[in-house]
Amino acid sequence: MTSGRVRRFSGLRAWAAVITAVGLSALAAGLASPGGEAVAKPPASMEFCKIYPTAHACAASPVVNCTTCHTVPPARNLFGAQVAEHLAPGAPRPLSDADYIAALPAALKAVEALDADGDGISNLDEILKGSAPENGDSRPTAVSCTPGQTRSAAAGRWNTCGYDPVHAWRKVVLDVCGRSPTRAETDAFRRRLPNESSWREGISGQLDTCMRSPYWLGVNGVLWNLANAKISPVDSIKAGPRAGSIPLADYEWDYNLFAWMNTGDRDVRGLLTGQDFVKRVSDDPPTFALVADADFKGMRQAGQNVPREKRAGMITTRWFSTVNTMFTPIPRTTAAVAYRQYLGLDLARMQGLHPAVAEPVDYDAKGVAAPACAVCHSTLDPLTYPFTRYDGIIRNNYNPNRLKNFVRTDGPRVVDAPEAGMIFGQKVENLTEWSQVAANSDAFAQKVAWDYWKMMVGREPSPADQAEFALMWKGLKAPDKFNYRVERMLHALVLTEAYGRP
Amino acid sequence: MRMPGLFAALTLTLAATATLAPAVARAQEAAPVSTDPRIKFKDGDRYLRDLSETFEIPRDEICRELSRYDCSNKAFRIVLGGVDPYDARVMQPLDQATLASPIAFDRVALQVCANRVAKDRADPAKALLFKPASGRPDRAWRDALTDRLYDRILRRDASVAERDRMAAFLEGVEGRTGRSARGQSEQTLLACFALASSAEAAFY
Repeated sequence: MTSGRVRRFSGLRAWAAVITAVGLSALAAGLASPGGEAVAKPPASMEFCKIYPTAHACAASPVVNCTTCHTVPPARNLFGAQVAEHLAPGAPRPLSDADYIAALPAALKAVEALDADGDGISNLDEILKGSAPENGDSRPTAVSCTPGQTRSAAAGRWNTCGYDPVHAWRKVVLDVCGRSPTRAETDAFRRRLPNESSWREGISGQLDTCMRSPYWLGVNGVLWNLANAKISPVDSIKAGPRAGSIPLADYEWDYNLFAWMNTGDRDVRGLLTGQDFVKRVSDDPPTFALVADADFKGMRQAGQNVPREKRAGMITTRWFSTVNTMFTPIPRTTAAVAYRQYLGLDLARMQGLHPAVAEPVDYDAKGVAAPACAVCHSTLDPLTYPFTRYDGIIRNNYNPNRLKNFVRTDGPRVVDAPEAGMIFGQKVENLTEWSQVAANSDAFAQKVAWDYWKMMVGREPSPADQAEFALMWKGLKAPDKFNYRVERMLHALVLTEAYGRP
Repeated sequence: MRMPGLFAALTLTLAATATLAPAVARAQEAAPVSTDPRIKFKDGDRYLRDLSETFEIPRDEICRELSRYDCSNKAFRIVLGGVDPYDARVMQPLDQATLASPIAFDRVALQVCANRVAKDRADPAKALLFKPASGRPDRAWRDALTDRLYDRILRRDASVAERDRMAAFLEGVEGRTGRSARGQSEQTLLACFALASSAEAAFY
């Protein structure tokens, strides 16, 4: 059995470190500098994946990192320098975004056969196989088992040459039930090994059982913790049961909704489009029940105010608006958090930039139209407008006239900010439309699959995992495969080699 | 418990720990070394849940620092792979183990083993690990202890090579703890610690 393996490289982490060290504002200033020799082009991060959809880096996300072509933008790395040489030669600089995007495919094509880092492997091979074309120490390696090793591995304690059913089953028990299997359970599973359909059934049945356990579904369980970064709970402002000292909202609704949408025969897109709330009836066994809107009456901070038709799943809950929007009229943080946590696109890393024409307008007089800021805000501000009608702290309702409250603090133009905005270059009239576009995007499916992959496999998808990871997120979208049902995807995930090969 | 002797023996145990479980793997492995290993840390919560079940000690009693703070939920929560989103704002388990992680893990393993052996000494009729030799400790006693420990902690049989190594280890420890019942209980505790703090017990 042969698997394409590549040495891991830490571009993402390095990039994060660089951002932290240099500071975002300085970076943005450099990007926007029209006078410099090199000017980074944020749209390139998405164009790259349109040109190389089968590239390793594009399997897990629709964008590549700036470090594909840059060291610290706008400075180019070896590969970026080669591309720049072939990018619309002779045309006056700086290129407009449109000219740049038009010229990029030819420039990349021109350098495919070259070897920027001199490691003997062409740029194209490195791009497709997941190593770094600018880094001579990063190269694809093929690791395989000989036929003899494959035979001995299959008969050994662990099958290190392929999918090992016992290893995978044990991992399911530990990952999803939260305990090691007993010897009796292991012996019973081993008896299934001669029959493939039997051991597959054993793994599948174990997964089904464990996915109803408190360890998986309960308070502080696996799904609960998977939602931590999305919900960002703070006990001091919690309302409802075990309220904090300044009760503003109750995050338990958010955790319950997250668990609900990620289990059973439910469409996970409901995380962004759902209009229901659920309560936790019992934690052992974990049981949930839908809540009638009338049940929120009189609950004050512990309830939900946004009317059903204006709800957009997790991104219009009282908690989400409270901790992200707070008192801001144009809640850019709220939009950026939604973009990052549910679509995997981090604007602070220049990911998912789709600059809108004539943006940003700077309705709230924050200076975002300055060239150094506009690089990101031409995407972020229109991404944010649909959130502007949702109150943050205090009312937590949908209010079409909300911006009138901010004229004194944010200037007279703030009321002109539209409710309509843009996401992925597509115009949307309001947040419910925004959430529909987001939930149906590749980025959403990739982020859902990525979260589970990292948790179950124990690491981010590596270059060697590209094919199997793509099967997960594409399958999640496909009506005839997982059809946005997370549990169906997990049944496939535990049968991948990435999960079951020791 | 005679602590100086125990600490001296513990040093020996730590050295032995590194070789005991891997030795089995070497003896049994016919397969090539994994080209892309993906082992995961069991984390404090699952580790103590497993030992609670296997040592038949209630989960909330099995390991408490200063007799007050649960080892996994309180004392070593983050360093043993847990999260604390509400106060410490640690939303996900740390990607990399901290410098304190192996120290905390060893403390937990030692405390749990000491807890079980103490219960065995207090109520020999319900002993799980420590069962004194009827006469002078011999190879049969050591093998029986080894089998109990592998069965309880790693949930499998010990190989021949593992039994040999454990027997040699116990003999070495005996030189420091003596052959008395107390010495035997200390040998049991250290052998338990060797397995409970092994890579095989901590990772999956």
